[in-house]
Order: sequence, then structure tokens, then C-alpha cells
Amino acid sequence: MSNYINLSIKEIHVLLKEKKITPIDLVNECIKKIESSDLNAFITLDKEGALKQAEELSKMEVSDDLLFGIPIAIKDNIMVNGLRCTCASRMLDNFTAIYDAGCIDLIKKHGMIIIGKTNMDEFAMGSTSETSYYGAPKNPWNKDKVTGGSSGGSAASVSAGLVPMALGSDTGGSIRQPSSFTGIVGMKPTYGRVSRYGLVAFASSLDQIGPMTRNVYENALLLNAISKLDRRDMTSFDTNEDFTRKIDKPLENFKVAIPNYFVSDIVDSEVKNKILEIKKLLEDNNVKVDFIDIKHIDKTVTLYQIIAMGEASSNLARFDGVRYGFSYPNPTSLDDLYSKTRKFGFGNEVKRRIMVGSYLLSGENAKTYYNKALEIRDDLQKNFLKVFDNYNLIIGPTTARCAYDLGDKGDDPLKSFMDDVLVMHANMGGFPSLSMPVGFNSEHLPIGLQIIGNLRDEATIYGLASFIEKNIKEDFSEVRNGL
Amino acid sequence: MDYKITVGIEVHCELKTKEKIFSPSLSCYGSMANTNINVIDLGYPGTLPLLNKEVLEYAIRACKVLNLNITHDMHFDRKNYFYADNPKNFQITQNETPIGRDGYVEIDVDGVKKKIEILEMHIEEDTSKSVHGEKSSLLDFNRAGVPLIEIVTKPCINSSVEAVKYLEKLRELLLYANVSDCKIEEGSMRCEPNVSISKTEKFGTKVEVKNIGSISNVGEAIEYEVARQKEILEKGEVLKEQTRRFDDKTKTTILMRVKETGNDYRYFPEPDIPFVHLTDEFIEKSLHDLPRMPDDRRNDYEKAGILPINIEKIIANKALSDYLERFLDINLVIASNLLLGDISAYLNKNNISISDTKLTDDKFRDLVNKLDKKEISNKIFKDILNDIMETDKNINTILDDKGLNLINDDSLIDTLIDKVLSDNSDIVNQYKSGNERSAKALMGLLMKEGKGKINPSSANQKLMEKLNS
Repeated sequence: MSNYINLSIKEIHVLLKEKKITPIDLVNECIKKIESSDLNAFITLDKEGALKQAEELSKMEVSDDLLFGIPIAIKDNIMVNGLRCTCASRMLDNFTAIYDAGCIDLIKKHGMIIIGKTNMDEFAMGSTSETSYYGAPKNPWNKDKVTGGSSGGSAASVSAGLVPMALGSDTGGSIRQPSSFTGIVGMKPTYGRVSRYGLVAFASSLDQIGPMTRNVYENALLLNAISKLDRRDMTSFDTNEDFTRKIDKPLENFKVAIPNYFVSDIVDSEVKNKILEIKKLLEDNNVKVDFIDIKHIDKTVTLYQIIAMGEASSNLARFDGVRYGFSYPNPTSLDDLYSKTRKFGFGNEVKRRIMVGSYLLSGENAKTYYNKALEIRDDLQKNFLKVFDNYNLIIGPTTARCAYDLGDKGDDPLKSFMDDVLVMHANMGGFPSLSMPVGFNSEHLPIGLQIIGNLRDEATIYGLASFIEKNIKEDFSEVRNGL
Repeated sequence: MDYKITVGIEVHCELKTKEKIFSPSLSCYGSMANTNINVIDLGYPGTLPLLNKEVLEYAIRACKVLNLNITHDMHFDRKNYFYADNPKNFQITQNETPIGRDGYVEIDVDGVKKKIEILEMHIEEDTSKSVHGEKSSLLDFNRAGVPLIEIVTKPCINSSVEAVKYLEKLRELLLYANVSDCKIEEGSMRCEPNVSISKTEKFGTKVEVKNIGSISNVGEAIEYEVARQKEILEKGEVLKEQTRRFDDKTKTTILMRVKETGNDYRYFPEPDIPFVHLTDEFIEKSLHDLPRMPDDRRNDYEKAGILPINIEKIIANKALSDYLERFLDINLVIASNLLLGDISAYLNKNNISISDTKLTDDKFRDLVNKLDKKEISNKIFKDILNDIMETDKNINTILDDKGLNLINDDSLIDTLIDKVLSDNSDIVNQYKSGNERSAKALMGLLMKEGKGKINPSSANQKLMEKLNS
């Protein structure tokens, strides 16, 4: 089997440019790797469409766009016209998208090739991808372990080298946590950076699409491609900047904060020690690193439960069997259609969250819980903004522990939220946040470092991330080469 | 002591913007079912609302004419409920920050003026339209996402007459502000009164009536409800809070559902639409081309001497009143008589509107001025009406071509008068002996002699001078 996919995007680009390979070679290689993989990373593989597009691109002049002809995998909650979009739910098992999401328009404009749609937690609700109607994807580092979630399929496919790049979505850590568990680079951009038009909404005020890649540079490159003002998303904005511009530049007068909470007892000691090693690396290179306290930083799980589930209960109301998707046959009444369609169409975790969310918005609860949560959320954002008055970035672990056994979480809904206890702040405040691999635990499972930046300041995150990437010894490509 | 009637009214009006409130689909009535739709209107997964600014402009205009205070910082809320006509199973509306608050509409009941107070006005999206068959229901999503305003009065209406007057006035204001077509029969205006009666200061039990097909039916529904509620209370029974529907055939109300304790709509702020700040500039811009309101027009018409019955006829026909707005400097009595009379008859006969004819503004102005100065008679106007409406010729050319130019030449008129007087000395003598009606006969003969082409007023004046000399 050829191994072009494991080359860097720049190297692949040179080969394409010099006509040594064509996009068809890349697509064929991806398809072979996906078909021979047992990771259950994909829900839909678009062999025919991808090959057809590759053939068309092969007839064209290779542009100077580094992403031209590069295959990409898309999380299955993002609309790609003509492809099934299941959200890993029985509810949408038979649903075919009839339009392209905003970011998919851009992916296509860049001449990237969509290989297929990746596995995930049902409607992005979960931290292990085990709530998928199609079964959980497996972690390439240890197939008994979870990939994390909800963008588990995208993480596994990039980690294992099935595709060079993927898109995920992140409502409360769903890009960064699986990136951490599988040893790849995942970015949740600033809220509004990437259009949400065509992303099946989970919690509208938190959802954000972002790039999942093998290294920092390629992550910034993909973010360049998918971030553009989209008038169809009223929360969309654009700053017209190159996110790679601070990569490999010296870190001058750089100050980084580590919240004490991020290295408290909730964090596994192996993970904590790795973060402290990174602290030392930075200090050895004249970066000032301080431990700080941030008020309300320990409240995020509660805030998340209230806001995300409240919004989700409303967003998922449209799946009712009337217009599209699963529809319970021969209902006795409209109410019967609703209750049976939703009873059999949704999985347990989704139903649990809809019920909790409905309860939280019900009657006086909206004031007691939802409005109160919005207030604390505002405070939390202000508290983070204050930190950025004095520090360039905030760092810490992405997750409190490394990937764990499939089935380990069992049916304890709270346990899974605790996985995301360190990543939800970025969603709450709209801040950009990246996870990158920085080492391994004793089980040889990847450890992720999280870097949180000020609003709209992804470029500085990439700057520090590229510095760390260059200065750590560990190699995270072995599961790719091991095929 | 008799019962005191208390009525509050909720009115929904569709705004006549070009596009829907949250999608670029066309917003129009009467298209083939499910043709003005897109993925947003159908509530497809992944779609997001895109607020149409035109809706804000229209709503601001409505606020202005209903004397409402405009909320500068506002947002939208989600109202969550399941129904087949509700594509997302939530409706985007305004719960916490309605765009308008504390307004009024002034009505006149038998010469007594009363302000009907408006509690609030908010913006929301319409649902799709259900068509219920025997075994199934069909949905037309053309209506889904059509912008609505909902106008809610305080419980300050005390009779069916007041309710009808309020609705007529409201309809007139929104129509004249170019905000809505306000066609109840097409559903672009929907009126839902809630009616209660009580012998004490405390309000009685509220009954809401839906599905009323005309403003006069609102009056009838209220009358019926008051009578029904009285009968129940007189029997010593207890009224239940409920929703009833009006049945047009029997002119009665029929129970739809008894209200359960408070609907739980799980309202929360719509996260997909950023909070809206209405700047003074934007409000000014929205009001920039607000047309003159009917009461201002009524005043002008009254001052010009148009008969009250004709004033109401003009106001009732907005297109006609808008047309007249361009001619406020000419004789409005003549202009309105023409428009309500011969021109309307012509248009109706041919089933067309003024813009379909060759009647230009200049031509109409010329016509009215010529009639005003008696340069043409009513008879001649009737003779040349078809030419005015159907040819590009101006009035003078039409008159010349037909040889119908009125004779204004004094010496010619003198000659004709002399001829008539000498040919009919017997009638002249009758006049001189005191028969005043003889003058009319002479005038008739004079007009006949002039073949209807002499200016009647100056001819009459001259004739009388000669007779009395």
C-alpha cells in the first residue's frame, strides 16, 4: 500500500504539483486504509463521490493552495449535500443532506476531497462516542480504549492516518477531548469563527466547528480555509488573518497562566506531571509561567448541564417524524407519532439530556436555573478576560486522565461530564482552545495539553503550540506508520 | 346592577415584507402550496434564522402609528411547543422585550373619544398552514416564517361597539402605514378577543374566542359571549376559563378547550440571533417614508368641503386616497367626485385600475382645473371620458379633435344671446312679467344654440345681465 497520506500536507502538495501523484492516488489510499481499518471511525464512506471529485481535480492545474486535492473526513453532524447525515442516531439513519454547510462550501472551494462522514456520540452528546447508534469507534493507540468524544471518529481517523485531516465540532470539549485521547491536534476556535450554518445544533450558544489534524501547522492551515464570514449564521465574524503567521516565531515577553484548578487533585498525577514538565520547558525558554486562581472555574459542569441541555431540549424538538428522518409507522394520533418517534428514534443519553433540559426551562425553573446560569457564565467570561489582560495564554491539561476502557463509563451520566471539566470554560466564554499531544502515560496513551487564548486570538495559540511541538521528544505518528 | 363587560383583544397581523422573517423565501399569499419554502422554513437540521431587517422597519412603523414606545434593546425568545404546523417545534417570538410598549388607539363612539390602551406589540414568525382532511392533514409551509406582529390591548374595552371601532381603526392605521394588508379573509389579520363579565371591580372569568372571520363578527362573538356568560352566572353556575371558536353560520361560540393551569412554553432567549440594538438613525430611516395617516387626510378632505359620506368612501379605499395625496393643491371636491363617480364607474366596468389607463397625473390635474374653471361642462367631460382614459392625447387636443372646445369668446356668446332673445320674445316677456322660471328655459335654448359648447356659467351670467337690464 502506498503511504502518501502519512506525508505532510506540504510534501503531498509538492508531489501533486510535480505530477508525481494525483488526487486519485490519495483518495484510493484513504479508501483502502479506511476499508481495512477496524476502528469503526466512519459512518458513511463516499467512495464514488470522492473518486469522482478526485478525477475532476486530476484534470485541473494544481493550484498553489496547499489544501488542493487533500482528502478530509467530516463529522457526521455537518451537512454535506447528497451524503447521509446521521448524527449517529437512528433518528437520522435515513436522512440525506440536501445542502452544504457553510464550512463545506469552503472545503469544496479549496479543492479538498470529502472522503466520508465520521462516527460520533449521538447528536454529539457524550464523551466517548459510545452513544453512537453505530457502535463506538476504537482508539488507535489501544483498541480496548475509547477514542473520547463526541468527535471520536474524526479523532481516530486522523490519529490512525486514515485521512490527513478532519472536521469536528465542540460544544463542551468534543474536539479537544478526543484529540487528547488519540494524540492529535484539535482546535475549538472562537465562537463565531467558523459558520455553524449546516451544523446540526446541540447547544447553539456553545457549538463550534473546528479542525482536527496531525500537527499544529496543518491545523492552522485548515482553520484558514474554513473561517470566513457567513451571512447565514448571525453569530459569524471574520478577521481576515493568517493563523499560521506566528508559527515558528520567537516567543517574546511571553506570559502564560496555569489555573490552580487545572493542576488540582481532580487531575491524574501522570497527566499533572507532564503539564509541569511543559511548564519547565517554557520557563527554560524565558516564558513566565504563573499559577493563578479564577473565580467560578469549578462551576462549569453545572453551568454546562443547565445551558447545554436547556438549549438541546429545544434544538432537538424538530425531530418529530413529521418532515424528515425516522417516523414511527402508523401512529394513532399526532401525540402518538411524537412520543413513539422520539422514544424509538433517540438513544438513552439523548433522551436523558432532553428531559433534564426541558425540566430546567420549565416554568419558574427557567429563572432559577437557566437565567442564573447565564449570569454566572457572563461572570466567568469576564474573569477569563481579566486573566488575558496580564497573560498571553492559559495552559493546562485537556483532560484529567488519559483514554480509558470502552464500557468503563458505564451508565453514569455524571462521570462522562467530569471528563470535560477542564475544557468547558472555553465554550462558556467563547474562547479559542487547542489540544495537542505532549507525552504518554505509563500505558503509552497520549496526554493532551490544552492552550486557551483570548477571544479571536487563535494565532497566538498556534504560536506557542508550534514552539512546544518542536521542543518535545515524543513521536505521535507511530499508530499511523504501524499500519 | 348590571354586569360590566371587559374585553381585551389580541391581534396578529402579517407584515407585508418581500421576504420572510428568518429566511430569504418570498413572503406572499396565494402561491401554489409549498413553493415559497426553503430548508430554513422547513426547520431542517443545521439551519439557522437570519433576521430580515425589513421586518424591524415595518414593526417600527407600526409602533409609531399605534403610539407605542419603542424598545431600543431587544431580543428574540424561543416559545417551545409541539404541533405539526410548527416546523422547529419552537416559535421564535419576543417574550421579554416586545418591540413596542404602552401605546393606544383613539376611537370615537357616538362623538365620545376613548383611548384603547395597547399593552405591547411584539414580533414573531407565523407557523405553516394546516389543511385538515378526513383521514389526514396537509401542511403548506408557504406561511411558515411569514413575519407577524401581535398587538395586545389592556382589558379596557367595555362593549362590542368599542371592540369593533378599535379593530376598524387599528386596521386602518396599519393599512395606511403600509405595514400589513390586514385582510382577515386571507388570514393576514386575526383577531382574538377575550371576554369576561363581572358585577364587581374584580374581573370575571376570561373566555378567549378564536377563528373569527371578520371585524363585525368580533362584535357578534362578544355579544354572544356576554349573553352566554350572563345566563350561566344567573343560573348560579361557575364559568370556566376556556378557549372557544366562533361559528359563522350559527353566530355562536363553540368550546375548543378548557385551559389547563398555565401553558409551559419553556421560554428562553433565542441563542442564534444576537441581541438587537435599534439606533435612532435606524428608527428615523424606518419612519422616513411613513405615509400620512387617515385622520390627517380626513381633516384635509373636510376643509376642502368634501361631504362626510364621500370622505369615508375615500378613506375606505386606500388606493384612491393615496392617489388623491398627489393632488392636494387642486379642487378636491371635483377631484373626489370624479374619482368616486365616473372614473370609478369606468374602471369598474373595465375591471382595471388607474395605472392601467392613459390618465396621467398631468391630465387629471388639467381635467379637474378645467371643470373647476367651467372651461368644460360635465356633459363634455362625459363625452370625452373614454378618450381621456384610452388615448395619449392631452385634454385640449381631445377637445379640439372633437370640436368640443367650450366657447369662452364673449362677443360670440353675446351674439348667440341676442339671437335667442330676439327669436323668443314671448318667453322674454313672460320673464319680465315675473315668471322667473322662464330664465331657465332661455338658458336651455341658449345652450342648445351653442351646441353645448359655450361656457355655461359665464353665458348664464351674461344672459341674466341682459334680461335684467
